[in-house]
Amino acid sequence: MDRDTTTSEAALAGEPTRPDLSVSTRFQTSMRVKKRSGALEPVDIHKIVQAVDRCCAGLDAVDAVRVATRTISGLYDGATTQELDLLSIQTAAGLIAEEPQYSRLAARLLSTYVEAEVELSGVRSFSQSVAHGRALNLIHERLQAFVGAHAEELDAAIDRSRDLEFEYFGLRTVYDRYLLRHPQTRLVIETPQQFFMRIACALAESVAEARELYALLSALEYLPSSPTLFNSGTRHEQLASCFLLDSPRDQLSHIYQRYHDVAMLSKFSGGIGMAFHRVRSRGSLITVTNGISCGIVPWLKTLDASVAAVNQGGKRKGACCVYLESWHADIEAFLELRDNTGDEASRTHNLNLANWVPDLFMRRVEADAAWSLFDPKTVKDLPDLYGEAFEARYVEYEAAGLAVRTVPARDLYARMMRTLAQTGNGWMTFKDRCNTTCNQTGAPGRVVHLSNLCTEIVEVTAGDEVAVCNLGSINLGRHVNTCPDGQVAFDFEKLAQTVALAVRQLDRVIDLNYYSLPGARDSNVQWRPVGLGLMGLQDVFFQLGLSFDGGAARQLSRDISEAVYFHALTASCALARERGRHPTYEETRVARGELQFDAWGVTPSEPERWDRLRADIREHGLRNSLLVAIAPTATIAAIAGCYECIEPQVSNLFKRETLSGDFLQVNRYLVATLKRLGLWTEATRNQLKLAEGSVQQLEGLPEALKLVYRTAWELPMRSLVDMAAERGAYIDQSQSLNLFIESPSIGQLSSMYFYAWKRGLKTTYYLRSRPATRIAKATVDSTPTAEPIAPRAAVACSLENPESCEACQ
Amino acid sequence: MSHVHRPARLLEPGLCLTLRPMAYPVFFEMYRAAIKNTWTVEEVDFATDVADLRGRMSEAERHLVQRLVAFFATGDAIVANNVVLSLYRHINAPEARMYLSRQLYEEALHVQFYLTLLDTYVPDPEERHRAFAAIETIPSIRRKAEFCMRWLETVQGVDRLDSREDRRRFLLNLICFAACVEGLFFFGAFAYVYFLRSRGLLHGLAAGTNWVFRDESAHMRFAFEVVNTIRREEPSLFDASLEAEVQAMIAEAIDCETQFAEDLVGGGVAGLSVHDIRQYLEFCADQRLTTLGMARRYGVKNPLAFMELQDVQEVANFFERRVSAYQVGVTGQVVLDAAF
Repeated sequence: MDRDTTTSEAALAGEPTRPDLSVSTRFQTSMRVKKRSGALEPVDIHKIVQAVDRCCAGLDAVDAVRVATRTISGLYDGATTQELDLLSIQTAAGLIAEEPQYSRLAARLLSTYVEAEVELSGVRSFSQSVAHGRALNLIHERLQAFVGAHAEELDAAIDRSRDLEFEYFGLRTVYDRYLLRHPQTRLVIETPQQFFMRIACALAESVAEARELYALLSALEYLPSSPTLFNSGTRHEQLASCFLLDSPRDQLSHIYQRYHDVAMLSKFSGGIGMAFHRVRSRGSLITVTNGISCGIVPWLKTLDASVAAVNQGGKRKGACCVYLESWHADIEAFLELRDNTGDEASRTHNLNLANWVPDLFMRRVEADAAWSLFDPKTVKDLPDLYGEAFEARYVEYEAAGLAVRTVPARDLYARMMRTLAQTGNGWMTFKDRCNTTCNQTGAPGRVVHLSNLCTEIVEVTAGDEVAVCNLGSINLGRHVNTCPDGQVAFDFEKLAQTVALAVRQLDRVIDLNYYSLPGARDSNVQWRPVGLGLMGLQDVFFQLGLSFDGGAARQLSRDISEAVYFHALTASCALARERGRHPTYEETRVARGELQFDAWGVTPSEPERWDRLRADIREHGLRNSLLVAIAPTATIAAIAGCYECIEPQVSNLFKRETLSGDFLQVNRYLVATLKRLGLWTEATRNQLKLAEGSVQQLEGLPEALKLVYRTAWELPMRSLVDMAAERGAYIDQSQSLNLFIESPSIGQLSSMYFYAWKRGLKTTYYLRSRPATRIAKATVDSTPTAEPIAPRAAVACSLENPESCEACQ
Repeated sequence: MSHVHRPARLLEPGLCLTLRPMAYPVFFEMYRAAIKNTWTVEEVDFATDVADLRGRMSEAERHLVQRLVAFFATGDAIVANNVVLSLYRHINAPEARMYLSRQLYEEALHVQFYLTLLDTYVPDPEERHRAFAAIETIPSIRRKAEFCMRWLETVQGVDRLDSREDRRRFLLNLICFAACVEGLFFFGAFAYVYFLRSRGLLHGLAAGTNWVFRDESAHMRFAFEVVNTIRREEPSLFDASLEAEVQAMIAEAIDCETQFAEDLVGGGVAGLSVHDIRQYLEFCADQRLTTLGMARRYGVKNPLAFMELQDVQEVANFFERRVSAYQVGVTGQVVLDAAF
């Protein structure tokens, strides 16, 4: 690839202005760089310093000389100018853990680099970038027409200074994975700002709307989900994130039909949830051949391979979660699918697993009673029943002696907990709660059969219909105001505006979306569900100096969720007035006057505004059957530079592994606090590393701040469950709720998930735990006592054996 | 010789079989912690590695990877050999031998991992064979192997550690494999992998190596715990001449590894210079010396910023990679009212 970029090229050409640098002359005498022309030129440290220095405006804590010298020390003789540029970016990024401002510097260096790369294709404006993309057959005709008609206005609306909003990780992610690339040269053909404008134009109906949406995206205040970011305005506008497929029927041909559906849906990105409740269990008679079935495991092994083969459009790995009801007779083998020992023929390393748990099972666990397992072939209607109807039929089947086996409910529950602890998988999702609170189950016969890949989508499926959802998330961290008097407060007005714009955009996606299966289109235009979510809740708490589970934070968290639900319904009602209600509106619970919090028995904080809204809805209906879903936001939170969804921070210092390499993150709020206290020193940094990112043992940090900067491992999980339940009254779909226990025991887990069920959570997501032994710290300067000798597991707190537990006493 | 009575010292010759009462519970706990971190080669996903090698890496970087794989192909097997021929024979505590058995399994697992890697990266059977021959044919690898073999031979033929001199020889062998082979050669090799990973390259290699690194860190901790135990039991072994020999041994190991670095990055790899790698090794060497209670020799800081990455917790996005942090071996019973 023959290319050059501005930083080093300019560095080679520019005039040296800092003659007083005390830098080793080793580099200046021996190192040469290869220019684009192929000519070799000696490296001049001064010129490199200058180039870096140009990106340092307003960053008072970064040192351009340091970046330049470290860059050169990693260089080899004859390196290309491109390598030099990339190295300077990586060098700056390598200093982030020491000083978070280097993240901004690295982002600016990268921004310069990307702009230069785009210019290599002759692209100098937004409209040129779209035209070039169209010529390369990447861009949708509709977008090209829109942009062509309004080129001047749209080009003028691009604000390059918005690149300054990015942290390094965010911009790196955008550059590596989201910007459109030339099919052959793989050069990017749009800048980050042109990328945002492309999405805005693709999802808007007028220039004014496009500008509004662009302003929102480029300020990183709201971001649509990755499929929308990947594909908006392209020739295959598959913009939805989630697809839910009911179980294949108990027939060979239908199983493979479903696998074909999964592959087609994965191809254009999007995660899959698929139920398997209806497929017969091991030992069941196959009438046609008079053979005996091997159960669901061999089928899932096939699905596993298929999922691995189809990586989402070559952009990210395919992903699928299989749901199984807890009465299925293959449940134990199902729970072992992710084990890393045992027969490989019964292991599926690529599939995610979730339990679809009926209330009756949890009650039998509570009563320490027996639980019957059935072959779906003999209890065909169980997947389509919930609540009392399910319970009556289940008991009837038990009485009829149809059970394949009966086990103590607690034995099976313990196996579920073990799977969670050992693999993080086998998510607990609650069938009855999902059904009884779902807006789509207002009419008889409508049933939710599963949740999705990330357990935040709860939608009905019927036959070959595929439930679909497209998502977007509001960056709460960018909705905080500092008043002139220095008071920091959450900005509910701005939130209202963002929600209104976001719902409009999400609704538009339903009509634009490219559906690779007819069944997906049918269901989506009937129900028009969307999933508006949140991210950066932890950022809000840090900015306001709130402890994550303190009273003020809990109140704010509840208020935010109520506001999001309120304004989302308001926006959907306005859309219904404008464009009509969704076709199945009359079937919904909302049509009967029931909103989500009614199902939770919760009264909202401002009943008057809700009364007015109810009246509006009665008159106009809703455009969307479902509106709110809190997705995990892993990648888009990285782009926005905020903490993921509603999650507490995992560590004050951690690295993020992505396809673009490893990124180091340090809690910049903590760094600011420590700087204020004069504590941000190398000793502190080493202590943070040794303590796995915890500040609890940090000397000099006041106790109140230690509370604020707790990590997910240090928060009581009961609080997380409580906060999820309080929020849940305003979430008409669900939330991807991760739970964290460093070294879990069955007793802790069984209590925790039981509590989650009792509190009425619809779904839970990963159980996160930490490895039993650790990697030696390679870069921490150890003293003889600092290197941990005894493995951590040996001192782990054991609440079941308090007399033997020294850690708590 | 009794198999029942506990020997007075860890290095007293014999085959003690008694686990109750337990004399060295710390080794037993290390054994149990190791079990919890069981992983298998089948879990490692090499899907993008080959594409990276073909399309995203320079000739110089590919050379680096080839050399690395060649080193790994035989490195763990040499360590395993020392476990069998020296450590298992002479460390006379059944709980320590349990740990060593586990370590032996892990070394075999590492060999299997790098074998799978070799088969994936190198399609040509002839070339695969040559990778194993590297230990004799490639000078930079041969020198490291010779260093290991020399220290392996110092305890050959020593059936029983009867004399002080025998124990001293064993101690040096133990320190050499912990501080130099695991603590410098492997730490050095891991640095190249982490360098590549920090550039988003070779995820399969990085994922597996991360697990290998976790295991090797534990092996090193175990060995140093044995050293500390010996120090408590026979402090007079740790005299000035021992320290002088350890210092010399470490200096030689750094030289061997630096020569390896010259071979690996000699083709020009942006971001990795021999100078920085040597300084990193010196930094690591100071850590080993400190752990051994000996004087630091180099007084340098770690120059490789990307190594900071491996010191902090991973938060893998499951769309991207498999999370490598889960525990095996969970205990307890279902209760509904435990604190959480």
